[in-house]
Amino acid sequence: MNLHLASAPHAHSNQSTPVLMRNVLIALIPCVAAGTYYFGWYALLILAASTASAILAEFAWQKLTKQKVRINDCSAAVTGLILGLNMPPQSPVWLVCVGSAFAIIVVKCLFGGLGDNFMNPAMAARAVLLASWPVRMTSWVMPTGINSFGVDAVSSATPLTNLASYTYKDMFLGNIPGTIGETCKAAILLGFIFLLITKTISWHIPVTVVATTFVCSWLFGKDPVGSILAGGLLFGAVFMATDYVTNPMTIFGQIIYSVGIGLMVAIIRNFGNYPEGITYAILLMNIATPLIDRFTKRRVYGHRKEAKKQNG
Amino acid sequence: MHPLHREHEGKGPTRGVAVREYIPDTVTIMMGMHIGAPSTPCVKKGDHVKVGQVIGEPVGFLGIPVHASVSGEVIDVGPVQSLGATPGTAVTIKNDFADEWVDDLEPLGSVETCPVEKIVPAIKNAGICGMGGASFPTHVKFAVKEGQSCDTIVLNGAECETHLTADHRLMLERSVRIVDGLRAAMRALDVKRGIIAIEDNKPDAIEAMRHAASGRAGVEVRPLKTKYPQGGEKQLIYVTTGREVPSGKLPLDVHVIVLNVGTAAAIADAVIDGRPLISRITTVTGCVKRPSNLLVRIGTMAADLIGECGGYSEEPGKVCMGGAMTGLPCPTDLVPVCKANNGVVVYSMKESETLEETPCIRCGRCVEACPIGLNPYKLKYLCDADDYEAAKKANVMDCIVCGCCSYICPAHRFLTPSFKNMKDKITARAKKG
Amino acid sequence: MAKNKSLGAIIKNGLLDENPTFRLVLGTCPTLAVTTSAINGVGMGLAATFVLVFSNLVISLLRNLIPDNVRIPSFIVVISTFVTMVEMFMHAYLPDLFEALGLFIPLIVVNCIILARAEAFASKNGPIASICDGLGMGLGFTAALTLIGSIRELIGNGSVFGFRIMTAGYEPMLLILMPAGGFLMFGLILGAINAITAKASEKKEGTD
Repeated sequence: MNLHLASAPHAHSNQSTPVLMRNVLIALIPCVAAGTYYFGWYALLILAASTASAILAEFAWQKLTKQKVRINDCSAAVTGLILGLNMPPQSPVWLVCVGSAFAIIVVKCLFGGLGDNFMNPAMAARAVLLASWPVRMTSWVMPTGINSFGVDAVSSATPLTNLASYTYKDMFLGNIPGTIGETCKAAILLGFIFLLITKTISWHIPVTVVATTFVCSWLFGKDPVGSILAGGLLFGAVFMATDYVTNPMTIFGQIIYSVGIGLMVAIIRNFGNYPEGITYAILLMNIATPLIDRFTKRRVYGHRKEAKKQNG
Repeated sequence: MHPLHREHEGKGPTRGVAVREYIPDTVTIMMGMHIGAPSTPCVKKGDHVKVGQVIGEPVGFLGIPVHASVSGEVIDVGPVQSLGATPGTAVTIKNDFADEWVDDLEPLGSVETCPVEKIVPAIKNAGICGMGGASFPTHVKFAVKEGQSCDTIVLNGAECETHLTADHRLMLERSVRIVDGLRAAMRALDVKRGIIAIEDNKPDAIEAMRHAASGRAGVEVRPLKTKYPQGGEKQLIYVTTGREVPSGKLPLDVHVIVLNVGTAAAIADAVIDGRPLISRITTVTGCVKRPSNLLVRIGTMAADLIGECGGYSEEPGKVCMGGAMTGLPCPTDLVPVCKANNGVVVYSMKESETLEETPCIRCGRCVEACPIGLNPYKLKYLCDADDYEAAKKANVMDCIVCGCCSYICPAHRFLTPSFKNMKDKITARAKKG
Repeated sequence: MAKNKSLGAIIKNGLLDENPTFRLVLGTCPTLAVTTSAINGVGMGLAATFVLVFSNLVISLLRNLIPDNVRIPSFIVVISTFVTMVEMFMHAYLPDLFEALGLFIPLIVVNCIILARAEAFASKNGPIASICDGLGMGLGFTAALTLIGSIRELIGNGSVFGFRIMTAGYEPMLLILMPAGGFLMFGLILGAINAITAKASEKKEGTD
C-alpha cells in the first residue's frame, strides 16, 4: 500500500484561483451582452481582441522568460476583458491590443506576475491609454443598436458632463453613451449578485465605494443618484476595486480603501479636469494599499498592549 | 471557518451510530503515547499479563504508567513504527479473550465523597493523558504551582474537527461519567466552576449533558457557535471565560484548566472504579464500508479497525489519525491506536492528491480565517526564506497549526505545514541553546 | 588604479562597463527631462561631454593645489566656468537646441556625473587619463541619452532625429513624451540592459 504522507490539513475548500477567476468571467457575461446589445457587434470584437491579446501577451512573456505558463488560471483573460469593457465602443482594435499588452507585460509580469503587481493592470493600462490617446479614449457615442458595426454614430458627451439630459431609467438600463461595459447598471448588478453568491468577493468594497460617492456627491451639491448611475463608478466598484491583488487584506482595511476610492471619485469629478475619476481613484488607492495593510493588522491573540491595560 | 460545511463536516455517517466494542486478536501498546519520556517496559516476552496490569513504568516528571489493555501473552517487546519519525518501543500482547482483570484495583467510590487527596494519584496511576489529541499527562496539568491558581475547569466537548464524532457519541452515551469526571477534577483542585462547552451542531449532546449535569454543584453546560477551531484550547478559554491566554503562557496563567470530555470520563473511571485507561472511543470513517464509532482497546492496529468497519471502500490514498484539519498521516495502516487518537480517517486516492502550489493572489482569505490574527500570506514568505528572526517577530510561535489558512487558500499554498515546520525548527534551535 | 589601465580601457569603461546612465544611474534628472527627442539627447550629451573633459583636465592639473577642505566648491567653480561657456556658445550658435534644453544647460553644473568624476577620478589621476575618463563618461552619457531620446521620439512622435519613420497612419503615444513616460522608458531600458548583462555574465561564467 502506498500512502500519501502530506501533512494536515487533508481537506481543502473548493475555491481555487482558476475557479475564482472563472467566476469573475462569468459575472462579466451580462456586461458583455449588454455592451453588444447597445453598441453592436464591433463592441464584441473589441472585447474578443482585448481578451485574446491579454492571454497571448502573458503566454508570450512566460515562454520568453522560461516561466511556467499559467494562462489557465484565467487571470490574464479577466484583465483583458475588464480592459475591453473599459474602452469606448468605437476604439480601434490596435488600441485595445496595445492596452492589453501593456497591462499584462509592463504592469503585471514585470513586477513578478500574478499577485505581485502593485496596481490593477487593467486600470493602469486604461490610464496609460487615456494619457497617450486622449481623443480616442474620450470620444463617446450614443448606443447604436446591436446591428451596427462601427458605422458613423452620433458622437456625444458622457452623461457625467450633463446629468440632466438622461433619465434614470436610461442610465440604469444602459441606453447612454459610455464605455462598453459601464453603461448598463442592471448587468453590473447581476454580475455583482453572482460574485456574492459564489463568495468570490464580499460586499464590503463595492457597497462602501458607492455609498461614499453617494454621500460625497450629495454634500458637494450634485445629484447623488445620477452620479452613481452615470459613468463607470458601479463597474469600477464591483469589478476593479475588488481585484484581490491590489486591495487591502482585512475587511477593515478594505473599508478604509473603499472610502478613499469613493471620496477620490467625488473629488475628481467635482474639482478635477476629468469628468470621470474612477480609474485614478482606484489607482491611487492601490498605491495606498501597502500602507493601509500596515496600519490595519489584526491584533494577534495573546498580545494585548500592556500599557493600555494599565491605563484603563 | 466552516471546513467541509457542505458535507456536514464529514460527520454525517457516524454521528447517529451507537458505539460498539471491538476487541482485537493482538494489541501493540506504544510506550510513548504521551508527551514526555516514553515509559520503560516492565514485562518481557512470554509473560502472561492481565487487563489493567502495568506493563510500562513511568519515567521522569511527565511520566505516566502504561497498562495492558487485554489479557494474554506478551509476544514481543521491541521497536514499532508509529506516527513519529523514528520507531518507538512497544509491547505486543496476544489476546486470550479471557478478559481477566488484575485484582489490585482500588475503587474510591463516589466522586462526591471520596477523599480529595487520593484523586490526583488515582489519575496518575490510571495513566491518563489528554485524550483530545495533545496527550499531555493530566496529573501534571493538575499540579498547580505556587503563585498559580485555578478557578474554572472547562470541559472541551466542542469537537470542531471534521469527521470525528467520538466525543459526540461519548457525551450521548456516557454523559453521567463525564460529569463525574469533571466533579472529581473540581474537587481535587477545589474549583467552584466547571463549564462543559459543546458546539451547537450537537443539540442532542447538549441536551444529554444538561440532563446529566442538573443538580451537580457548579457544573454548567455552555452551547457554542459551531465554527472551526472553536475547540482549540485558546479559543475555548476565550469564548467560555472571556480570558485570553497571553502569548507563550499556559491556560493556568489565566486560572483555567481545559480537559477533553474523554479525559473527564477516563478520570471518572479511574476514581470510581479504579480502572486504568485501557480503551477509548475512536471514530473510523472516510473511505471505509461501514463508518462507525468503536470502543477500542489501546494498541489496536488501525488496519484491524478498518477491517472491523468493513474494510476500504476504495483504494486508500491516505490514512490519518485525527480529523481533516489537524490529523496525522500514517505511513502504513499498521499503526496502533494511542490514548489520544480520536479518529482514523481514510481518504481516497483523489482526496489525497497534493494540489499544486500556485502564486499568492493576496485575496486576504487567510488573514480573515486565522483565529489568532496572524498574516499567513506574509509569514509564508518568511518561512520560505528560512528567516527565523523575522518569522518569530511575525508571531509564528503563536500559530496553533489549526489548518484554516491552508484549507481556505485558493492558491493552494502550503501555509500550515510551513508554519509547523518553522515552529519545530525554532524550538529545536532554542533547545540547542 | 588608472595607472594600470590603458587609455582606451578608460574610455571603454565610461562607455560600457560604468556607463553613467545605465550602470551608475547618475545624472537621471537631465536624462528624464530632456530625452523627448533624439536631437535633444545628443545636444545635452555633447554639452555635458565638453564640460566633463575640460573640467576633468583642469581639476586634474590643479589636484595638488586644491586644499582638501574646499575641494567641492573649487570643483564647482571650475565646472560652472565651462558650463557658462557652453551655455553662451549654444545661445549664440544653436538657439533652437538652447530653447529646447532650457534650464537644463545651467543645471549641468550640479550634474552628478561631472562632480562624481571630478571627485572620484580627476582629483586622483593625471591630466591625460582624466581627459580620457571625461571623454568616455561623456560619450557614454551621450550614447545613453541618444538611445532613450530616439526611442521616446519614435514612439511619441513617430520619428527619429526629426526623420519620419512610422507610416502616416501611426498615432503617436503621447504618454511617452510626458515625464511619466520618461520614467517608464528609462526603467524599461535599464531593466532590459540589466537582463542582457546578467545573461552575458552567466554565459561567460558558463564557458570559463
